[in-house]
Amino acid sequence: MSPHLAGNQLPIEGRLRLAAVLILLVLLVFVVRLFQLQILDGDKLRRRSEQNSVRQVRLEAPRGEVLDREGRVLASTRPAYRLEVTPNDLSDRGRVFAALGRLLGAEPAELDEKAGSSKGSRRFRPRVLADDLDFETLARVESHRFAMPGVRTHVEPRRHYLSGSLAAHTLGTIGEIRADQLERETFQDYRSGDVIGQTGLEAQFEAHLRGREGGRNVVVDVAGREVGDPLLEVPAVPGGRVVLSLDRDLQIVAEEGFAEVPEDGSPRMGAAVALDVKTGDVLAMVSRPAFDPNSFAGGIDTVTWKGLTSDEWDPLRNRAFQNHYPPGSTHKAIVAAALLQEGVIGPQTTAYCPGFFRFGGRIYRCWKRAGHGTVKLMDALRESCDVFFYTYGEKLGIDRLAIYSKAFGIGSTPGLGLGTEASGLVPSSSWKRRRFGEPWYPGETVSASIGQGFNLYTPMQLAIAYAALANGGKVMKPRLVLRLETRDGITVKTFPTEQTGEVPVTAARLALVRRGLRAVVEEPHGTGGRARVPGVEVAGKTGTAQVVRLDRVEGLKENEIPIRQRDHGWFGAFAPADDPEIAVAVFVEHGLHGSTAAAPIAQRILARYFEKKFGGPPVAETDGGSDDAGD
Amino acid sequence: MTPAIDRRSLQHFDWVLLGLVTCVLGIGLANLYSASSPGVESGLPPEFRRQMLALGVATVGMLVALVLDYRRLERLAVPVYVGTLALVASTLLLAPLTRGNRSWLIYGPLSLQPAELAKVGLILAMARYFHRNPPAEIRRVRDLWAPALIAAGPVGLIILQRDMGVAVLTLLIAATYLLFVRIPARAWAALGAAGVVAFAGLWTYVFKDYQRERILDFLDPSRDPLASGYQQIQSRIAVGSGELFGKGYLAGTQTQLQFLPTQHSDFAFSVLAEEWGFLGSVLLLGFYFTLLIWGLVVANNSKDSFGAMLAIGVVGMLFWPAVINVAMVLGLAPVIGVPLPLVSYGGSQLLANMVAIGLLMNVSMRRYIF
Repeated sequence: MSPHLAGNQLPIEGRLRLAAVLILLVLLVFVVRLFQLQILDGDKLRRRSEQNSVRQVRLEAPRGEVLDREGRVLASTRPAYRLEVTPNDLSDRGRVFAALGRLLGAEPAELDEKAGSSKGSRRFRPRVLADDLDFETLARVESHRFAMPGVRTHVEPRRHYLSGSLAAHTLGTIGEIRADQLERETFQDYRSGDVIGQTGLEAQFEAHLRGREGGRNVVVDVAGREVGDPLLEVPAVPGGRVVLSLDRDLQIVAEEGFAEVPEDGSPRMGAAVALDVKTGDVLAMVSRPAFDPNSFAGGIDTVTWKGLTSDEWDPLRNRAFQNHYPPGSTHKAIVAAALLQEGVIGPQTTAYCPGFFRFGGRIYRCWKRAGHGTVKLMDALRESCDVFFYTYGEKLGIDRLAIYSKAFGIGSTPGLGLGTEASGLVPSSSWKRRRFGEPWYPGETVSASIGQGFNLYTPMQLAIAYAALANGGKVMKPRLVLRLETRDGITVKTFPTEQTGEVPVTAARLALVRRGLRAVVEEPHGTGGRARVPGVEVAGKTGTAQVVRLDRVEGLKENEIPIRQRDHGWFGAFAPADDPEIAVAVFVEHGLHGSTAAAPIAQRILARYFEKKFGGPPVAETDGGSDDAGD
Repeated sequence: MTPAIDRRSLQHFDWVLLGLVTCVLGIGLANLYSASSPGVESGLPPEFRRQMLALGVATVGMLVALVLDYRRLERLAVPVYVGTLALVASTLLLAPLTRGNRSWLIYGPLSLQPAELAKVGLILAMARYFHRNPPAEIRRVRDLWAPALIAAGPVGLIILQRDMGVAVLTLLIAATYLLFVRIPARAWAALGAAGVVAFAGLWTYVFKDYQRERILDFLDPSRDPLASGYQQIQSRIAVGSGELFGKGYLAGTQTQLQFLPTQHSDFAFSVLAEEWGFLGSVLLLGFYFTLLIWGLVVANNSKDSFGAMLAIGVVGMLFWPAVINVAMVLGLAPVIGVPLPLVSYGGSQLLANMVAIGLLMNVSMRRYIF
């Protein structure tokens, strides 16, 4: 069967012997080496393993700072101290825990239990007994530590958000890397247990903020104390800085606006966005309810986490761009621009408002039951007359209106990079066929003309649209980050302003709409009087978005309506009215009215902006204009 | 046709070989239990449980490899070789990038490193080639082009997986056969020179920066002192502190304190040396190297040259990773992530090596069948 020699006469026998000799030589080398290490150097190395051990200590890189547009620190890194014990090294547990109990103000028995057994394979594992010690406790522990072998303090850099929940959704959170993230190519050089940015800017700029971890080989004694100088030290490189377009002052007043709980005790939820109309810079961005990102910094505890994720109002969500809502009458600014540009109306065109509009056998009511009488565009905007917009919106048609809504940026995500974004919704006949397989009914155009029906805006989109209205038609991409810097302040990357679209409305017609919005705030009977800022003319539009059908809450007093059934309040604004610099959108979820809930918050932001600009005194109350509740 | 297993081959079953393998595996498992137990609250350590499972699969693999007469396996050599190559190639498309390379096929809780199985395919193909072209008749370098191509298949694919360590190891296994060819010394010199030139060409024109970095790190661990320097210090302390009798099972302080980062896989031998001392270490090495020598005896006693060549391949497959691993643990070689066959944690490695042992048994028990 075999073509070659069989049996013991194989011609390779000599080489097999050579192979055996080589293998035995290797074995000999290994045995000699083992003899050298274990017998000759054995005593020395045994002592080293028992008394002195080389430990590798990771040196965590401090995360880079996040600054506002004026260089004020929003997120930084501070040292955090924790107290650890190694059960194996505790010589006298009773005495040590009694002492620790006094120092920490805790039950000795509890500490004893937390530390775990001095036997078993886990006895060498340091256990954390207290995290984030305050400085006084730290000093007390340190001064007694020599009497307590097995006890040590450990310092690590910890993320610190200087103003607590200020701009929490924008800054985001950090947390331990998840198993599915470790698999990704982006996180190739991360290890399990590493802390990374999980949401917001922390996640978006993880690579820049992270820095580079270092390490140190140290000799430690039985008590785990470092002895002598490190054998080797590779220092950590701190992460770089992110400079935001946010203005901390405006952010503060915007958030304070939401902190004011109205007298009926309803919660203040919602969002506010302030944009520089020329650059698209995000000067303030608020979402309420909020959370304290510091609670994530040292590893969030289960109770806090459960509380945040099970909260019915979802505080982790950024309402400024992750949710969209019916815009109510703030939509009328876009409708007005479309009506003028399409020639459906002129500035002198009138409509008669008897308090309702009859169309297709149905009655569409104006918010003002008594009616506005004969109104022109200017009056209709100022007093938010619904019938004017019913009348001409229906003539314009939904599809022509959709073109303008889209041109103003509604229906598309602005691309902030901070996480998922809601797109808003611009209804049209083709959309409805696609979505529901039904034709568009003309009656639906009537509702859509005043921002009810299918229309949805994110607060960010309202700000973008009003900024475009204010700056002569340029749709600017919101810019949240101005530049990336090294930790020493050397710029490594800048983010240019970016125009993403142009509104197809002539400058003169946009100016007409702006005049109408100026009247809303500045003229008697305007619905936006509460947004007035002394010394500056403000333009704006209130909006109230129905949440449930009118008949369900009919007859109830406002404070008797269940919170979830209350209307949303909106206010979109820009100022100065003749040469706008800043646009503001405020959304108050279930706030009942734009004029009472949202406009005052916009007022605070605008007042602070111009106060900073002109260096004038802080502005307190303004006398409200019309007390008419809504639109 | 010879039946799959007949009475005669059972009579000549190689109990010595089985005994040696059992000793090495037993020591390896006991050691793995100790190495993976720190940090485990209760029950068996997960690595230990997975390894027991893998051992079950690997034992089945070994039985399959010894049942069919190896002379019939010769006909299967090429399909097996091509099949394992295809498996390695599939990783390039299917495997997720983990820790910088694409070596693992993952299906639910199961994961497989096809490069390990490719070694079995490689030695089958090499044995078949050298059976038909006896190495004793190869006297010119250019006669080696065919085996060079056979080796280039798996080695090339593993390089594409970016797993440099395994690629070098596979190349060394193939190179085992060079010991048996009759090429004159000056030809070896020429071959070496050609290799250097080829490598220089690759270095300059083909390799990307990160690949060069990897090779440099591989050759000079001090380039990344925090990682490899630390491991070597800890490994030396662990081994040396074992002294003559060791610190006792489950009592190695270096191990239980987890000073060694990969103590259940690459540094398994340091755990053994610490807990069982010089005597335990020499005992394991004794079993292991006797196994290698026994493999050479099987090659020598083999009835035909295919069996001999197959046995030589198996010895090479067990020899090279063991040399590199133990040398690394003892501080005689830089830190390279190569596990110790049959001892270290790792299911794919265990499966491939047990199949190889099955082949060795196959050759051994049929040494009298004509």
